Amino acid sequence: QAREFRLGILTPNGHPWNKAALKVGDMLKAETNGRLSLTVFHSGQLGNEAAMLQQMQSGALDMGWIMAAELGSRVPAIAAITAPYVVDSTPKIAKLVRHPVAMKLFDVLPRETGTVGLAWGITGMRAIFSARDISSLADIRGMKLRINATPVYRDFYQALGAAPTPIPTPAVFDAMTNGQVDGLEADLEFSWNQRFDKVSKVILQMNAVFMPMIALVSGRVWQTVPAGDRELITKTVKTALDAQIDELALNEPKLIEQFRAAPITIRTANVADAQAVIQDFDKIWLPKAPVLADLRKAGASL
Amino acid sequence: MITTTAFMIIMLVGVPIGLCLCIAGMVYIMASGNPLLFQSFPLQLFGGVDSYGLIAIPLFILIGEIMNGGGITRRIVDMAMAFVGQLRGGLAYVNILANMFVSSILGSATAQVAIMAQIMVPEMEKKGYDKTFAAGLTAYGGMLGPIIPPSVMFVVYSVLAQVSVSDMLIAGIVPGVVLTVMFCVVIALMGYVYNYPRAEPMTVRQRISTILGACPTLLIPIVIVGSILGGLANATESAAVGTVAAALIGRYWTKEFSFSRLPEMMLRAGIYSAVVLFLVAAAAVFSWVLIFGKVPQEAAAWIQSVAKDPVSFMLLVNVILLVIGTVIDGIPGLIMTVPILLPIATEVYGIDPRQFGVVVVVNLVLGLLSPPVGLCFFVAAAVTGAKPGKMFLVTLPFFGISCVLLVLLSLYPFLSLALLK
Amino acid sequence: MIDQAITSAPVIAPYRVITGASNRLLAVERLAIMGLMFLLTGLILVNVVTRYTGFPIYWIDESAVYSVVWLTFIGASAMTRLRLDFSVTMLTERLPPGPMKIAKVISTGAVVAFGLALAAMCWLWMDPVGIARAGFDAREFAGDSFNFLYTERTQTLNWPTWVLYLILPIFAVSMTIHGAANILEDLELVPKAALPGFRLSDIDAVN
Ligand code: NA
Ligand code: NA
Repeated sequence: QAREFRLGILTPNGHPWNKAALKVGDMLKAETNGRLSLTVFHSGQLGNEAAMLQQMQSGALDMGWIMAAELGSRVPAIAAITAPYVVDSTPKIAKLVRHPVAMKLFDVLPRETGTVGLAWGITGMRAIFSARDISSLADIRGMKLRINATPVYRDFYQALGAAPTPIPTPAVFDAMTNGQVDGLEADLEFSWNQRFDKVSKVILQMNAVFMPMIALVSGRVWQTVPAGDRELITKTVKTALDAQIDELALNEPKLIEQFRAAPITIRTANVADAQAVIQDFDKIWLPKAPVLADLRKAGASL
Repeated sequence: MITTTAFMIIMLVGVPIGLCLCIAGMVYIMASGNPLLFQSFPLQLFGGVDSYGLIAIPLFILIGEIMNGGGITRRIVDMAMAFVGQLRGGLAYVNILANMFVSSILGSATAQVAIMAQIMVPEMEKKGYDKTFAAGLTAYGGMLGPIIPPSVMFVVYSVLAQVSVSDMLIAGIVPGVVLTVMFCVVIALMGYVYNYPRAEPMTVRQRISTILGACPTLLIPIVIVGSILGGLANATESAAVGTVAAALIGRYWTKEFSFSRLPEMMLRAGIYSAVVLFLVAAAAVFSWVLIFGKVPQEAAAWIQSVAKDPVSFMLLVNVILLVIGTVIDGIPGLIMTVPILLPIATEVYGIDPRQFGVVVVVNLVLGLLSPPVGLCFFVAAAVTGAKPGKMFLVTLPFFGISCVLLVLLSLYPFLSLALLK
Repeated sequence: MIDQAITSAPVIAPYRVITGASNRLLAVERLAIMGLMFLLTGLILVNVVTRYTGFPIYWIDESAVYSVVWLTFIGASAMTRLRLDFSVTMLTERLPPGPMKIAKVISTGAVVAFGLALAAMCWLWMDPVGIARAGFDAREFAGDSFNFLYTERTQTLNWPTWVLYLILPIFAVSMTIHGAANILEDLELVPKAALPGFRLSDIDAVN
């Protein structure tokens, strides 16, 4: 019978994830002659990610595309995929999230969050935008660095010797302009939209961490969907997000060209310098999320 | 339909507005047959105020309390008086000019009204103005708060629309100045019709000494702006730095402030903030329920089918926002409408997102001054005891001129974009 | 007169319980509002100083946000008792005294009704019986009920979120008590309380 799904997402309309979500809706409609449809609620209109999860758990909301930061604060195994140097380039992120080890992380979701994971979506590798002239990981020591407030990132940047400083997203540009922080870390696409290059001297590509998201379905709702439809929805979401992943990996060189055309220096940090930091980090996180070892192995094999 | 009826009835019976929004939301949940939403209701109420941007409200209100308690606002008003007090309706101009000055310190309309009403309304009443008019005028002065930078609303918009924060703040400068001038024109016209009083004449010597006496109060905006530019604080935190500056100036320069009165000021600022913040929470719940029921989405589809070109689209958006703004205004109004209207504006009609932002923000700020839910009037009422409904009626010309500004902003993009590269 | 006072005394006693509870609650709320305002200002100033000197404290922003949330609901409860909440009076103020009193009782009744409804919604959401039945084992409870409330923690403070959410049931209960006290006043069953400690300029004149 006809059914309409609701999908909540935090990013604004126009973000690659949102475009993919809209595509899922179009594909479902086309495949089923309009029997299944999907409404996308952009920009956290249904509340922040915690609120969307709660609505999925009660069964009020059907789907939510939730970032690994929010899920990682509940499920350490999910946080593990955001650990530093699991992979060292954006094309490898694209491979990692489709690797069986990454897909296996979904197994704990029903028990730990009441939701079912269908597929990963990604953003590119995060870089440091610095107001000072920096060229290596060692230069990060002592920097007041605005970071995404998630425990993995805090531990990583602390291990690098930075002073992690949470600043609310809307205030970041001004915080850089006025020197409340010496730098910030973000993915390149978001940084281009916010034009962080205009308030920075150097972009340091660390190729260390990235922030993916998981396309989730409410566990309660999933039980009420016929098996054939479940298969169709899973396939459709995978197709749309596969395309998102490939496109993002393909676009990264173009994005870097855009930054090169701007008056800002782009440098790449030497991954070999990071061994001690990785060890410090794993001392904290391996006991919490043993799956991190498997992820590192998988990442190295790509 | 049931929701609208229920809302109208309980509102007219005199149920507090915040509760009207909550109860209407519950009625809508019941009518839509999705009782699971009741379980999420408390969390949405919580989430409505779980936002860093809102911290600014109690801090800005506290700054106002301390500025008033330390005789600082009084000196700002005196200074404006020394400049324009001699004109017919002098104190009305003083009100708007002092508001424009304070707008460059504060980022929230309600906080600004709370501050300015305490000082301007008794003063204007003393000089023979109608209290309701004085309170209403101050409420319109508060409109300048979120239009002239700093502005909490432009910050929220820039997040929703993914445009640069500094672009949005700069885009507000010209509309803010234009609105100030327009308000002054209205005062001039009304001044002749209602024969507004002039202030007592001042000698040049008196004027100079008044202006000099007020000079140290200029330290507060300097400290606030300085703490931002110097990398000490962000826009929100600068309010806390400003409270320290205001307390020190009040204690050691004007000598009217004493620290023993601080708890009482904290209490007042806390209560005023809660009055505003609870409405924000209630509006958030209400708009969440409507969004879940796809009411805004359906409206957007309808707009697209009606508006054939950018101009008619912008005008239609203005009308719709004014209607929505009667009940849901300010930040909750932005959260509810921008994600739905902005993609249509930019993709279908090719409108600059920054111009669109200025129009939407100014419109929803004007919503703070439209009945039945008009936060600025409510705050002015809470502080002065004047009646919100009457306030709206006696200041109708200001509402009219604000609508004219909206039309101008919709028709002429350069008003918003002139200062941007 | 005296007879009347004596005979009506036992009837009045339960009313006294309600107004007494409401007034004591208000005294606590008054201190809490002051305390939260001091806390908020202090947190922000400490944040400014520590970040400027290069030792930013990671959890301050989050603490400040939650202080404001608690301030909102505690303040909203207090303003219910103080009758500072905004309402539309353009119709009611034109009514004759009789209907006016009825409208007043209805609107105060709505406060109580909403307080009770919110308490019920909090009960559904927080499911105290369910968590107790699961032996206060949050994971087991979540597995059975799909309610993960008790397993969540905040981003930077790392507190259990349910502790912070407690303000909602507290708000529901305190608003109900304040609303009940207001109804008793509206029905003229008890005299209007003076509510000392809240001198908010002319604010008492509103509504
Ligand atoms: Na302002
Ligand atoms: Na309004």
